[in-house]
Amino acid sequence: MAEVRLEHVWKIYDNGVEAVKDATFTVEDKEFVVLLGPSGCGKTTTLRMIAGLEEITKGTIYIDGKVVNDVEPKDRDIAMVFQNYALYPHMTVYENMAFGLRLRKFPKAEIDKRVKEAARILGIENLLDRKPRQLSGGQRQRVAVGRAIVRNPKVFLFDEPLSNLDAKLRVQMRAELKKLHHRLEATIVYVTHDQVEAMTMANKIVVIKDGVIQQIGDPHTIYNKPANKFVAGFIGSPPMNFINAKIIRGEGGLWVQTSGFKVKVPKEYEDALADYIDKDVTFGIRPENIYDKMFAYAPTPENTITGMVDVVEPLGSETILHVKVGDDLITAKVDPKTKAQEGQNIDLVLDMERMHVFDPETEKAVI
Amino acid sequence: MRAKKEIIIGILIALPSIIAIAIFVYGFIFWTVRVSMSNWNSFSALIRGQYHFVGLRNYIRLFQDDRFITDLWNTLFFTLFFLLGSIALGLILAVLVDTGLKGSQLFQNIYLFPMAVAFVVTGTVWGWIFAPGIIPNDPQGVNLLFKQLGLEKLIWGWYTSTDHIGTFNLALIPVIIAAVWQMSGYTMAMYLAGLRSIPQDIEEAARVDGASSWQVFWRIKFPLLKPITFSALIILGHISLKIFDLVFAMTGSGPNFVTDMPSIYMFELTFRSNRYARGSAIAIIMLLMVAVVIIPYLVSSMKEEVRR
Repeated sequence: MAEVRLEHVWKIYDNGVEAVKDATFTVEDKEFVVLLGPSGCGKTTTLRMIAGLEEITKGTIYIDGKVVNDVEPKDRDIAMVFQNYALYPHMTVYENMAFGLRLRKFPKAEIDKRVKEAARILGIENLLDRKPRQLSGGQRQRVAVGRAIVRNPKVFLFDEPLSNLDAKLRVQMRAELKKLHHRLEATIVYVTHDQVEAMTMANKIVVIKDGVIQQIGDPHTIYNKPANKFVAGFIGSPPMNFINAKIIRGEGGLWVQTSGFKVKVPKEYEDALADYIDKDVTFGIRPENIYDKMFAYAPTPENTITGMVDVVEPLGSETILHVKVGDDLITAKVDPKTKAQEGQNIDLVLDMERMHVFDPETEKAVI
Repeated sequence: MRAKKEIIIGILIALPSIIAIAIFVYGFIFWTVRVSMSNWNSFSALIRGQYHFVGLRNYIRLFQDDRFITDLWNTLFFTLFFLLGSIALGLILAVLVDTGLKGSQLFQNIYLFPMAVAFVVTGTVWGWIFAPGIIPNDPQGVNLLFKQLGLEKLIWGWYTSTDHIGTFNLALIPVIIAAVWQMSGYTMAMYLAGLRSIPQDIEEAARVDGASSWQVFWRIKFPLLKPITFSALIILGHISLKIFDLVFAMTGSGPNFVTDMPSIYMFELTFRSNRYARGSAIAIIMLLMVAVVIIPYLVSSMKEEVRR
């Protein structure tokens, strides 16, 4: 049982900068929670407050039900993996991993057992006698993780651990960390600015912007039901299209009217939009919910729009189209067999079941 | 073609200094070795044309000379305590300054400042401070201070004292204090640069791993400062083995040669009594002592260069 709970936690620096504002969330036992946000959003500061490396200005942090606000990092029973690995350069891999256990006066045989077990799990058994400078980035990363797991702590903290690895290695380590989480049944708080890492590894994502938590939810919810325009735009690649629009009452119900097209709102959303009739809104639709009409399964005049192809980006498995519709440039992720050509018109079909509408003032999601 | 031209230009550029060093450093070392093995121990030897090779006679005589033996012991103890004092004090000051407390920048400059003072000046000033005066009626310097404070028991002859523990002349203590005062700020600057080059996350990783501040220092930071300690030992060591100006200005040889150094003896033999051969022999012995310290350093830094 290792639960981390933050209640109304603030971090205000001496110069008045508010890095974290009123953060409240819970990391359940054995949960993999990702703190996600752009750089400078306060996610690392939050992690460092959990670690005890940063003082808490206001609020309370509990680990395992105990208030740890004034507990030294060494007494919190946590382990942390740093962005730059932070291995001890003068120690071998073995000594790096054994360091925490030695400080805690574990018997030699137990230290040896744990270090070798961790090395085996991470596949670094043949590196135990090397110094950190003799290792590649990926190997250092494994040692840093190994140093954390030998301690068998209550909570693991990861601070952007994969950001210094090359793309291929990152994908591999991502899968390994996920496996490790299942195997160790560990409670993990993981900081990243990479939405793919968050989506693939997390049980729960905490999206942060400018020190304020925007949304807490599982990856599915964060993707499908973003709480506001920021979350909607931050998750997904290419990002969601945002188009200035008006909700109007028309033939057969409500319609979304933009500078370049008019599409029908599905019946189930009409109630939610009742207050927005004849008002400006931000209409949102993800590129992957826009289809080339030739490959769409249910094209109707009510969900089809026409625009001029500006740029075609074939990626092999899919093709990204940038299409000019009225005053707006819309990004669509379409079937790679598309016949779209730059400078020519194309019919696109919007999956209106997956439309989003945001209040232009508050940017909060209406749908 | 072009590479050849570049090599020629490179040689031409380096040539003047190579020639100068060859003559004025290595040529003179060779000449000093030659003189040290001659009988040039008076003017008359030279004038009468009896200048000839005598082998190691001057060296043997030196090692039979009580004054020179005292000088070697003095150098040994001076070096030992000067290094220990400068390293310990420099490290402590660096750690204190590195905490970043208010005013630490000011103290950093204050500690570093003595380095800007010439050894001769340091020697003169500390010579005044530790001048014992007439004991017990008319003490001076620190002795006067002790008298005013009612600490008469601490009044002592300082560098005029002939007290000793074994072969360690206690009169060296004030000289060591002056030297440490001058060089510990420099040592601090070296350690401070070293401390600041240690990435913060390594310290934080150790804290999360369970280390107290004390353990962070002794098990992480201090081992990482090893190259700094090594450099400091070499730099201070070669200053110490050749020390002349500080001692010459502060105490000279002292009674019974209690603060005498090989360099002072060399100076007196050569320029006060025209015994050039004997003086040269001391010079060569000093050169060998310093070489013992410097050569391992050069070798290791050259290896470092190759590794890069």
